[in-house]
Amino acid sequence: MMITTSSKLLYGLGAGSLAAGFVWFVANEGQQLGSVMFAFLAVAFIFLGAIASYTRDGHVLSTDTAAHASSAASQKSVGRSLWPFGTAVSAGVTVVGLISSPGIFKVGVALLIAMLGEWMISNWAERASSSNEYNTKVRDYLVHPLELPVAGALLLAVIVLSFSRVFLALSKSVGAIVFAGMGALILFFGALIAVKRQANRRVVGAILGVLLLALAGTGVATALDGEREQLTEAAEEDHFAHRGCTEEKEYSDKKASRAVSMKSSILANVILTEDGQLYAEATGYPGQQSAITIQRSNPSTILFVNESSEARRMVLSYGKVVEDLGDGVERESALEACTSKVEKGGQQAVTVVVPKPSSASDEPFTITVPGVEGAKIDVFVP
Amino acid sequence: MKNPRRRFLSLAGAAAGLVAVAGCAKDAPQDTWQPAGPNAEMIDNLQRPVFLVAGIVGVIVFAAVAWVVFRYRDRGQAIPEQTHGKPAVEITLTVIPVLILIGVAIPTASTIFDLAKTDDTQMVINVTGQQWWWEYDYPAIGDNAAKYGLSQPIVTSGQLVIPENTKVLLRVTSRDVIHSYWIPKLNGKKDGVPGRVHLLRLEGSKPGIYAGQCTEFCGLSHSYMRMETIVLKRADFDAWVANQLAPYEAPAEGTLAKEGEALYIQQCSRCHQVNGLADAEGNLIVSAPEQYVVSGAAPNLTNLMTRNTFAGASWDLLTQECRDVVWKASADEFGAKYLAGVSADCLNQKDLREWLRNAPEKKPMYVDPTKLQETGGKYRGMPALGLTEDQIDALVAYLLERK
Repeated sequence: MMITTSSKLLYGLGAGSLAAGFVWFVANEGQQLGSVMFAFLAVAFIFLGAIASYTRDGHVLSTDTAAHASSAASQKSVGRSLWPFGTAVSAGVTVVGLISSPGIFKVGVALLIAMLGEWMISNWAERASSSNEYNTKVRDYLVHPLELPVAGALLLAVIVLSFSRVFLALSKSVGAIVFAGMGALILFFGALIAVKRQANRRVVGAILGVLLLALAGTGVATALDGEREQLTEAAEEDHFAHRGCTEEKEYSDKKASRAVSMKSSILANVILTEDGQLYAEATGYPGQQSAITIQRSNPSTILFVNESSEARRMVLSYGKVVEDLGDGVERESALEACTSKVEKGGQQAVTVVVPKPSSASDEPFTITVPGVEGAKIDVFVP
Repeated sequence: MKNPRRRFLSLAGAAAGLVAVAGCAKDAPQDTWQPAGPNAEMIDNLQRPVFLVAGIVGVIVFAAVAWVVFRYRDRGQAIPEQTHGKPAVEITLTVIPVLILIGVAIPTASTIFDLAKTDDTQMVINVTGQQWWWEYDYPAIGDNAAKYGLSQPIVTSGQLVIPENTKVLLRVTSRDVIHSYWIPKLNGKKDGVPGRVHLLRLEGSKPGIYAGQCTEFCGLSHSYMRMETIVLKRADFDAWVANQLAPYEAPAEGTLAKEGEALYIQQCSRCHQVNGLADAEGNLIVSAPEQYVVSGAAPNLTNLMTRNTFAGASWDLLTQECRDVVWKASADEFGAKYLAGVSADCLNQKDLREWLRNAPEKKPMYVDPTKLQETGGKYRGMPALGLTEDQIDALVAYLLERK
């Protein structure tokens, strides 16, 4: 019989893939991408089926009596495996994810692929030879280069995530103390292990395991408890995005220059001099400019540099928007983007997307500094 | 020809001949070996000697390898005595490439610095890439306003118009993914990166059309993202500017173009700006592409028929015959031919109508309404508007007046 048991399965899958490709083609009105994918799948299955046929599923011939006792298939299995259980749990997670959330679904699919992969490789390795010891070694050679980095990354992720949750929950000052304390503790244990070379590896491992569990537990607890009050408020306020742009508004970023992380992508530097003059330096334009151009519908970052003696903020005004509140009621509000107040010598960037051309506005678009008379830069949006 | 070796040699020879013959093409608008401006000439002056040196080195290396492979091929002889280390040879073979590379590096660095100069800029133009077309805006500030009459910004697309022998500085950026701006006859490439402004010098020595192509793979219709730079004599450029800034002229009442204007307001003005176009109450219409398109922009069609191309410069607005008249015009006549724009007789009706009938069928774009969840319902490109043939007639009549 040329068509062996496993090749039947593979040929069947190949035929199924071909049929699926055809159905896809018809159902999607001639879209080729899915059909091409199924065609490749079919070729792969048929190829594997041909190999299975050629090797006759790797079975030992009934006439080869010497192999009956020594072949891999005749050896005792290597005990229980957790992979089928893991696969079932992963399938369950996938189904739950399918109903509840895309995130869980993606985790489920990733787990399912990992479990099936592990199961498949273990199964193959168990039959690789007649020596269980050799088979275990073969499996480890194949899988450890994948398993160990992934496990290490997961471990690192747990540590980092737990740390971050703990420090987001603690207040700034307590966080600093805890961080210093933990650093000292880690250094102490490290030194202790380095000095006590004869320390039992199992004891050290157990201590580290307990510490990891404690860290993860604290991380979960603090995550459930929520972030500290200031962060929650900031998130509710969209991280102060809606702060007022007038001179009176008190919020002032005393470390504004440290907050700038986008200096490499600046459209223009706007500089307020000590004597209250405002000018711009824009890429491609020589010298000091009294007008700048911002491209429409394109995120543009402008850096404000305050060289004056008082804390000041830069305000970009780019027209007005009229909101329809229903029942014939409309609300007109100014479109503005501003930095927080910046101390002398400080700088802060603001990123803005201007949707409309300046010619569409009754009022000119400008950059100003509240409280500084005459400080103005014209802004053109073509 | 039964001998496999002879057959192989014949095929290889034919392929090499084909490649060599391709290099002799006369009509090669994107040929890097035919510079038409000082920046491209700088690159040309560098690439010719470098190519020569690299060619000589290549020939020597390949000839040496071929000779060794043939001379010492396996003929059943004994393996020669194996040795290791020959300091004199090793030092020589290290020093020679180092000297060659230093010889190449010095003029290369000098050229790079020369190409990066911006202090002699005479005109600044913003160039913004988005899937899959280029927008050009001419800021009305600085020397642009003072010396080139740009009292208002000009926004156009597809064809970049610059004055002859003028040091133009392009401020290249992008609204969505990374693109790359390249007019081979005028300068090298420059990437357009979202959130960043990159500078590229451009200068044309002779009036004419210089073609280019986006050279950074940018998605589905990357190959349809083309561009052309038009170099005009100064007087012609001034005429072009004046025309671009001229007030909007509405079509005459009762004409097909007037019907087209109403249809344009209803169907097209959501994304495409026509400066000065007003609704029935006289309110100026401002397009809102940010509501419909991922990039937040669509080509400004105010003076569509003054340019010779549309849809990312992928198709000509001129028929082949009229296009040849412009492309093959002498330097003295080119300006007048180009400024004549697109007339009814010269309009490439076929491609424009096909575009209006079903744009995504002509140029692949992400506009299937059932697959826009990830972009919040916004398109990447222009959707099919489902226009009737009568509506297309009216729109074409209206667009023909956008000069």
